[in-house]
Amino acid sequence: MVTLDSLLLGFQSIFASGLVLASLYVLMAAGLALVWNTLGIFNFTHGALMAVAAYVAWTVADPRGLDLGLAVGVIVAILVAALLGLVINYLLVAPFLGQKQIVLIAVMTTLSGAFFIENSALLIWGPRIKQLDKFVEGNVKIAGTTISGHEAVIIVVAPLLMLGLWAFLRFTWTGSAIRAVAQNREFAELSGIRVKRMYAIAFAIAAALAGFAGIMLGAIRFITPGLGGEPLLKALIVVILGGLGSMPGTVLGAYLVGFGEAISTYFLGAYWTQAMLFLVFIAFLVLRPNGLLGKP
Amino acid sequence: MEKNARPIAVATFFAVLLVLPLANGDSYVRHISIIAIMYAVLVSSWNITLGYGGVFNFAHMAFFAVGAYATGILTKTFGFSPWWGMPIGIVASVVASVLVCLPVLRLKGIYVILVTFAFGQLCLQIVLNQRELTGGNFGLVQIPPLEIGAFSFRDYQNIGYYYLSLAILAITVAAVTWFSRSRFGWRVIALRDNEPYAVSRGVPLSRIRLATFVFSAIFPGAIGAVYAQYVRSASPDMFGFSFLTLALSMLLLGGIGTVWGPIAGAFVFTILSEVMAPLGPGRYLVTAVLIVLILRFFPKGLAGIPQFLAQQWTRAKPKPQPAAEKA
Repeated sequence: MVTLDSLLLGFQSIFASGLVLASLYVLMAAGLALVWNTLGIFNFTHGALMAVAAYVAWTVADPRGLDLGLAVGVIVAILVAALLGLVINYLLVAPFLGQKQIVLIAVMTTLSGAFFIENSALLIWGPRIKQLDKFVEGNVKIAGTTISGHEAVIIVVAPLLMLGLWAFLRFTWTGSAIRAVAQNREFAELSGIRVKRMYAIAFAIAAALAGFAGIMLGAIRFITPGLGGEPLLKALIVVILGGLGSMPGTVLGAYLVGFGEAISTYFLGAYWTQAMLFLVFIAFLVLRPNGLLGKP
Repeated sequence: MEKNARPIAVATFFAVLLVLPLANGDSYVRHISIIAIMYAVLVSSWNITLGYGGVFNFAHMAFFAVGAYATGILTKTFGFSPWWGMPIGIVASVVASVLVCLPVLRLKGIYVILVTFAFGQLCLQIVLNQRELTGGNFGLVQIPPLEIGAFSFRDYQNIGYYYLSLAILAITVAAVTWFSRSRFGWRVIALRDNEPYAVSRGVPLSRIRLATFVFSAIFPGAIGAVYAQYVRSASPDMFGFSFLTLALSMLLLGGIGTVWGPIAGAFVFTILSEVMAPLGPGRYLVTAVLIVLILRFFPKGLAGIPQFLAQQWTRAKPKPQPAAEKA
């Protein structure tokens, strides 16, 4: 028999797990959305960058690696991810820009890039699974349920990071230039903005964001070369759902998918939730390909 | 290629494949050649939607997997005769292609990739879900093999499967050749090259696109069924990224939108990856670099080589006209 108490408890656990999932999705999708909005391509190396950053952070921070502490590990890993992003942009994206079928070519080149990075990670770090230390130990009580301190950090950091990204794009010269390039490439070029440099900067920032998401994930899940595979798919769904060219849309999409998944997991179980997610995604794409807040 | 050279080359190609089992009985070589033939069927039929149709259909490998799973489940669990395997595989694959095509009809570009890819993931989730039926993560094993009386297709180093796959390849090549010259094929190409113009000239977009999907799905369904009966298993990896990337690189290496390019790509690539097998995961690095290099420098792939050579030839040769004037 369903009592009011058990219903309340169910609601609380849905809320807590939904919030954690949604915040994770915000982190994962932010970089993907930045590249998609600016360059108009999907960067399939996004997931591989997450894995590499988690590995680098582990190597720098872990006693079995360089043992320099988690803080150093995080900073180094994010820098490495940003640098890798520049390299990816230089080798896999920039040479093809301006071609008619750039969207489709970029899918193939970045897919190969992801394939390359994941297998390199396997060669470098081996198949033994690793895990990062949590940022904060202990547990936090929210809305009647207990979550780990690390998850609480994710819940707080994700919106802050998005706020920071928004402020950067809104108030700095570079941010404005990136948006200008995204909106009208030719005119931005005419006004003296270096388009290629802006692309590179956007790509590096996106890669750094992917790296940060990877580090956050590396403390919750085990680090494997395929760490970013499933998050990449989720991030794709979130970005499409939110709509092209709309950062607020991406955030909205992340929270919708996160809470939707939590609700569906509670009532249908984890297995059916994944199938449901893709089914809803396909239906949504057909009915509204421009996303929730995207411009047609 | 010269006009007369083409039929001779085709005949030689199939003649070599026909006599190969007689000349070489090694089971390893047999396995590699069966796999290469199967890849050739998959890639050249993928070429129908991706190359000729210009539709970025990333569900083609899912059709193959659906065919293999349908065959496996119906013949193993529901007791159908293994000889129903191929018809079952084809029907399942075609049904899957219709399901994918319906949403694709309304979409363009990147959204086609996303929907077709999501379809593969959806199938994967369902396969993982229905563990009692599909074996979940571990895959479906012990699928009944093909037999005629006492003769199993596995006898003599799988010679039955070899010739069956070769027959399917011959049919595929014939079908794609017919397609590329038929009215149907021209309409598909016209839609790829200039959609608004083709539509304004009365090419029915939706009907043609649906027909293209159904036509291209027949072959992965058939070869999926034979594959399941050959290796006697079907695994969730068949829906995965790496399998898709591998097939895609064969298609790119061979050359999109040509009859023989993808087949050459499949054979060259299968042999290449066997040669690189000692490298372990390193061979995937080579594969990835190869794809990017091809896209960058040889967008036409292997199929572009004769044309490229011809260009070099005419450039190197002194122009005949001034010479004639001198004389």
